[in-house]
Amino acid sequence: MKKILVAVGAIAGALVIGGAVLGGMGANNATDEVKELTIYSGRSEEFIAPFFANWEKESGIKLNIRYGDSAELAAQILEEGKNSPADLFLSQDAGSLGAVSAAGLFKALPNSVAMQIENKYIAGDRTWVGVTGRARVFAYRPGAFSKLPQSVVDLTKPAYKDKFGIAPSNASFQAFVTALINQKGEKFAQQWLKEIKANGAKIFLKNSAIVEAIDKGEIDLGLVNHYYVWEVSEALGRKIDVEIGFFAPGDIGNLVNVSGVGIFATSQKNDAAIKLINYLTSEKTQIAFVEDTHEYSLISGVKSPEALPDLESIGAPQVDLGALENVQRTQDLLIRVGLL
Amino acid sequence: MKTQKDFGSYGLRALVVGVLILISQPLIYLVLRASEKSGTDVIALLTRQKTLEVLGLTLALLCIVVAINVFLGTAIAAGLHYVRIPYPRLMFVSTILPLAIPSYVFTYTWIALIPSLQGLWAAAFILVLSTMPYMLLAVSISFARIDSGLIEVARSLGLSKFAVFTRVILPQVRRSISAGALLSGLYVLSDFGAVSLLNVETLTVSIQNLFKSSYDRSAASVIGLLLFLAAAIFVSLESVLKGRDYESRGAEGFQQRIRRVSNPPLSILTTAVLALYSLLAVALPFYVLISRYLQNPSAVAFSDLVTAALSTISVAAMGAFIAFLLSLPLAFLATQGASAFASVAEKVTLMAHALPGVVVGLALVSFGSRLGPLYQSVFLLAFAYAVLFLAKSVASSSAALNLVSPQLKEVAATLGKSKSSVTLHVVFPIALPNLALGVLLVFLTAMKELPATLMLRPTGMDTLATEIWSFAAISRFNEAAPYALLLVLIAAIPTFILTIPRTAQKESAQKETEKKVSYL
Repeated sequence: MKKILVAVGAIAGALVIGGAVLGGMGANNATDEVKELTIYSGRSEEFIAPFFANWEKESGIKLNIRYGDSAELAAQILEEGKNSPADLFLSQDAGSLGAVSAAGLFKALPNSVAMQIENKYIAGDRTWVGVTGRARVFAYRPGAFSKLPQSVVDLTKPAYKDKFGIAPSNASFQAFVTALINQKGEKFAQQWLKEIKANGAKIFLKNSAIVEAIDKGEIDLGLVNHYYVWEVSEALGRKIDVEIGFFAPGDIGNLVNVSGVGIFATSQKNDAAIKLINYLTSEKTQIAFVEDTHEYSLISGVKSPEALPDLESIGAPQVDLGALENVQRTQDLLIRVGLL
Repeated sequence: MKTQKDFGSYGLRALVVGVLILISQPLIYLVLRASEKSGTDVIALLTRQKTLEVLGLTLALLCIVVAINVFLGTAIAAGLHYVRIPYPRLMFVSTILPLAIPSYVFTYTWIALIPSLQGLWAAAFILVLSTMPYMLLAVSISFARIDSGLIEVARSLGLSKFAVFTRVILPQVRRSISAGALLSGLYVLSDFGAVSLLNVETLTVSIQNLFKSSYDRSAASVIGLLLFLAAAIFVSLESVLKGRDYESRGAEGFQQRIRRVSNPPLSILTTAVLALYSLLAVALPFYVLISRYLQNPSAVAFSDLVTAALSTISVAAMGAFIAFLLSLPLAFLATQGASAFASVAEKVTLMAHALPGVVVGLALVSFGSRLGPLYQSVFLLAFAYAVLFLAKSVASSSAALNLVSPQLKEVAATLGKSKSSVTLHVVFPIALPNLALGVLLVFLTAMKELPATLMLRPTGMDTLATEIWSFAAISRFNEAAPYALLLVLIAAIPTFILTIPRTAQKESAQKETEKKVSYL
């Protein structure tokens, strides 16, 4: 008995020491020259990995990349706090960046960083900067309607009854509803949600499922982010019968959210991290983003994805992206009207 | 016998306490986080309509799945053992194989077949399909070790076959039925994959949503504690239901194989049920995965597949090994007879099993991020697996240890051996095969784990599960398919080993032990 206990203890001890040694080998000794950077990426590996690989080649700095869901990574970062081994956080949406920023875990970026990105896509306190733009749009089947909707409010009309889909559990839809609440008040948002539900809005789990359903002819229209039309087409490996439409200029349905990046206050590798941000926000990279992922560049003058109108002319509503951080109220509202 | 107390037992208790503290990290985390909220906030959160609805839905799902598992599972296991059916071995293997399929993969394949699948009953359907093997495994082990001497006696006393089953066989397997119910119930409580895809907001989904949507970790932790409480009630109910320990009479009844009932209608019915279950739980998911794989437009990166498979296997194996080490003190304690301490230790282990991966993941992020190089190392991830799945090995080993004949222990003890010596030389060798079974179960489950893996894996390391996630997240199911297929195929190996009859091994172990006893 005792022998076994001793053996167990010895093995446990060996494991801990082994772990410390092995783990230590991977750790980064702070030297004058930065050889590695650690980044948490809420952007999918499939889309962003080639860009990271390019930068590694250009800079000679190795990237340790941790992929995850943006919101889950944000929760993890909040839990790590000042002990985070990461230098940067690249997020799919402004909400997750806002949460990390509100916890004081980002450092303010100097004005020389991401100079080409327009100011409305940078946090007021410069703790994060936008990298790409993602427009809320309606996807639809060409020929399905004689007149396209001019506002999200139109979706409560009989012409659209039982013909359109939404993804209320999706972060991008919730960010849109948060913006709707911020702009028009909770009462208005609640009424709108109730009415679209009564008008037979079909519920989907994901944006991509909405686009697929339009392609299959199950529904005629859906509220999605603009790039899903290409994402679905590429995943299916064929052209799909779905087009992108914008509401009238200024309508909240045209909300432009951003993916963005910030540097942790605890990072000792400021210069290298800034170099990476400058790479992601450079004109050359932004043009490649537009081509590869069909997102919008946040630099004015860069061509928009495919044949879409440019960011300035889609009539995006004036929205404070920093205020999209807390979606709890939005979720409670969605639950109240029975959409979640 | 009870007067014999050696120092080993104090050391053992200390070790058990140490293990309990280690595996209670997630619980400690929940309490610390939840205490950031004021009392009135906590009460408001717990009593709001939404929370009550989620709790109600969770309990409904739990009851439905456990009830179906208990009745259908016991019937299926009985059919497998006592009814004449074609290819009984193959049938048994195919009913256990669903264990190899992660619940999220399982659900994806079913949604691919029936896109409108969602809601409570759909979730119950999917969860019954995927947790039934826990029931079948647990009950089959007991069926295989049934005391056939008693059955002969009962028959000679004129009992009908049905009466033999309900009055002689069932009482002997009651403990295993409740162990199976426990494992499948705790699985239902902690599952995220199936319920979230089917749009059923259980407590676990709620916790994940709260962590994600509002970054409100305190609210999520309050709901986490509610889940723990639900698990605690469930575990205590189970220990009431399983009743008195059935005293195994010893080795003499084991040799005889029980004859199968040959009744054509019953055989046809049993075969049909088994075939239907295998079709729904194994054949259809495989069909979807393979056809998705064939539709895959882009070439499979072979090296990525191999790397991910190797990382998956090695971390899961390390997790299973740590779980085995941690389960040893608990298993030894269980062999030293019933005590309040042992029963509390077992219950704490089981309750911790209901906590979902996201809670264990975040708890270990919170504590682990202070550990320097250990953080985001494979060791912390393997430790997370051990914490998550320790109950699996404890549950199977404690059921196994209870089957060791008490006479054998008494004989050894009367020969002047100390408690720990009896444990080491008599009980342990007999229990070893089933301890190994627990290790396999942990290994198998760890390979499929996703939420904690995403948070705790070394930066840059991919497992098969994280690869599936990363393709599925951007709707590239066809590209996820080869990873899912490989995961299922690799997981099928330990699953298959679990189904190898161990009666032969046990008999020889038992005989060997008898020899040892005579030498003592």
